[in-house]
Amino acid sequence: MSGQAGVGPAHAHAWERRADAALGIAASAILFSMMTLTFVDVIMRYVFNRPLRGAFEVTELMLLVLIFAGLPLVTHANEHVTMDLIDRWLSPRLRNALGRLMEALSAALMFALTWFMWIKAQRIAGYGDTTEVLRILVGPFVYFMVGMILLSGLIHLTRAFSAGPR
Amino acid sequence: MIEGLVALAGMILLCFLRIPIAFAMAITGVVGYAYMRDWNWTVAFAVVQTNVYETGRNYTLSVVPLFLLMGTFVARAGLAQELFRAAYAFIGHLRGGLAMATVAACAGFGSICGSSIATAATMAKVAYPSMKRFGYSDQLAAGAIAAGGTLGIMIPPSTLMVIYGVFTETNIGKMFAAGILPGLLGALLLCGAVQWACWRDPKAGPPGERASWSERWASLRDIWPVAVLFVFVIGGIYGGLFTATEGAGMGAFAAMVFALWRRALTWKTLYQSLVDSGRTTAMLFMILIGALIFADFVNITSMPADLKGFVTRFEVHPVLVVAAIMAIYVLLGTAMEELSMVLLTLPVFFPLIVGLGMDPVWFGILIVTIVEIGLISPPVGMNLFVLSTLLPQVPTTTVFRGVLPFIGADVIRLAILILFPAISLYLPSLMR
Repeated sequence: MSGQAGVGPAHAHAWERRADAALGIAASAILFSMMTLTFVDVIMRYVFNRPLRGAFEVTELMLLVLIFAGLPLVTHANEHVTMDLIDRWLSPRLRNALGRLMEALSAALMFALTWFMWIKAQRIAGYGDTTEVLRILVGPFVYFMVGMILLSGLIHLTRAFSAGPR
Repeated sequence: MIEGLVALAGMILLCFLRIPIAFAMAITGVVGYAYMRDWNWTVAFAVVQTNVYETGRNYTLSVVPLFLLMGTFVARAGLAQELFRAAYAFIGHLRGGLAMATVAACAGFGSICGSSIATAATMAKVAYPSMKRFGYSDQLAAGAIAAGGTLGIMIPPSTLMVIYGVFTETNIGKMFAAGILPGLLGALLLCGAVQWACWRDPKAGPPGERASWSERWASLRDIWPVAVLFVFVIGGIYGGLFTATEGAGMGAFAAMVFALWRRALTWKTLYQSLVDSGRTTAMLFMILIGALIFADFVNITSMPADLKGFVTRFEVHPVLVVAAIMAIYVLLGTAMEELSMVLLTLPVFFPLIVGLGMDPVWFGILIVTIVEIGLISPPVGMNLFVLSTLLPQVPTTTVFRGVLPFIGADVIRLAILILFPAISLYLPSLMR
């Protein structure tokens, strides 16, 4: 269920490494808060009979942030699940070329997705959509999503063209 | 029908070219959807937008990162060591005893961890050195760890059951309850496989030392945190005290407290646990989103209806249908990544199963069993990779050979579960 465990490529760009560190901290902070919020919510409900208002919605939004902050991390660490059966039948040169082509295709997909989600984000932000209980504006979260998908696309794109074996 | 098969073939081709499986599913899904709507790309893009956004913002799915986190904390807390020691104290002196203790400890660890890979990885560090010390063959040792690890997704909590539950709109609490007995049956049959391996090669699994009863009781005392966590989390969900998500959050928090109390958590390892779980979550969600896009396409093709029509026309016996589906899965599972295999095929098979009047919970348990088998079937089985990575001194071929009796045991379990649905359905039937 997981890709090859591993660290990012040694020759990753400095901006990539910095983004990786920042997003790692963001993702872990979000996950920690998600856990704590659930815990506090249940305790408040059973012990003090006062469930937190809107804990549900906050969890939802945190999940959104967690997943999409995690996306560039997964891309950077090369942890997307792939089938690498074909590798043993290919010469290193062919494997390299195919790898780059697939990175380019992945980048194209991410950029297309960025565009779709950008349209969606504009629509949601335009309506001023909020959550039901706490009235949190949803728009910024969708824009965050768009940014993270774009970032993943950029990582794929640099991999398609940067030096070193793929 | 044809368009569905073409899309499936195209998707597998893309996967073979080494594009991430999640992306391959999304691409084929969108193109297929547009094709089915006379190349109307606007609707196809809307499908993508909805799936990406809605899956990301799905309260039920927040159970996934929380259970992953619980498993990571539990692994860090070092409870695996105590579990193995306790199991060893009771059955270590038997022939193949350490291998059976490994299986039992895996089952215990699986009751607080929802991932097969984490269970196998944790147990490899604990059980392999002991088995080596007593002169176990690498074949048996690696086989027992790889196979025992798969119990992690059958014995609740289980990440896979959560994903199945969300994907098919099946009650996750019932899935968890349903997994307990099949998980125990699985552990028993795996012990049978150990015995078989020892019978074939008596030198493979020599007995360990016999422990006195006072040592046995003492070893049981050390595993109370596992019992407490299991009763608290799974009992809480089973008894309706909290939802699966709440149970996962409570469990993760409690596991963190245990890890802190045992001084197993520094700032660095805390951060590492959080970020690892976060990354695995993102990785799983990409597969889920890709599969949902693909499923939306499959649902507008005639494929599910055609298959149903075929089965009704020839009046195939429902059990035969299930057996055929399972046979397809076992074959596919040798070569494919299991989660994507299941998510890809569910849109076709699930309506068929429900249409034939079979219980979705029961089918879910069969699916979990299939994934367990896939995780240890060569050449592509995730648990085998995990062992090869963690035990570089053991050749891959040895791992492959060692796991064969255990695959046999799992196939027997699958047959038993198909023939006796009550094993899966008894416990959930007691739930309110």
